[in-house]
Amino acid sequence: PARMAAPTREERTACWGARDEFWQCLDSHGDDAAKCEKLRRAFESRCPQQWVKHFDKRRDFLKYKKKLETEGYVPPEAAGKS
Amino acid sequence: LRREKEQRLRQRRLRDLRALALGQADFQLQDTSGTPRSRADLLGRWVLLYFGFTHCPDVCPEELEKLCRAVELLEGVPGLPPVQPLFITVDPARDDAAALGRYLRDFHPRLQGLTGTAEQVRAAAGAFRVYVSAGPPDPDGDYVVDHSVLTFLLGPDGLVRDCYGRSRTAEELAKSVRGHMESYEPLPP
Repeated sequence: PARMAAPTREERTACWGARDEFWQCLDSHGDDAAKCEKLRRAFESRCPQQWVKHFDKRRDFLKYKKKLETEGYVPPEAAGKS
Repeated sequence: LRREKEQRLRQRRLRDLRALALGQADFQLQDTSGTPRSRADLLGRWVLLYFGFTHCPDVCPEELEKLCRAVELLEGVPGLPPVQPLFITVDPARDDAAALGRYLRDFHPRLQGLTGTAEQVRAAAGAFRVYVSAGPPDPDGDYVVDHSVLTFLLGPDGLVRDCYGRSRTAEELAKSVRGHMESYEPLPP
């Protein structure tokens, strides 16, 4: 199968820029993705799919980290599972 | 008396590093011109080594920028020996010599890259206890490789002298490398 070339420096920079614009939009709309659909599509078109998945996970992680820093750790309620 | 104590601590640390034998095993890889390279080729110089892959979304370009920036800072200090920046791929399936060459030339003119067969790369990563795990491919066949994010400092005697994680800045790297260079004593054989 043809080997996919890795994104060039310019392509990386364009992807990161689109990601940052999308994230800034989410920041100013309380994470309401519906308000940022156009930027989401731009982000998805500028970045390889694997990178979109990676950055989505990173955003979730950063939000969780911020939550820990501001609200403190709240242990999950004890469930039946061990 | 304090000097003696520092000296003893340094010697003990070096013996511990040697006992850990990090990166002591030989490796057989090829550089971006296809020339075979082994550990012996690294002896006699200071090396800053990073394991990564060219399809990496953010971490590898950031760590490479940082590594190369540290090399630049050190180049500005008169009297220091040169540092060899080095990249070893953890994704040999896609990162052949040509792909590595294309990727690395964006960073520093002296930055070298090494690749090889899957087995050769596995052995090299193993020698440095670098964790490597390719993720599941998507329908296009693209995938990311999860791996330890570490920059290793190798001394001219080939011993790993230090390793640096994500949180260290280029300035901190340069300062640490300089400290190692200035207090360098080769380990007795």
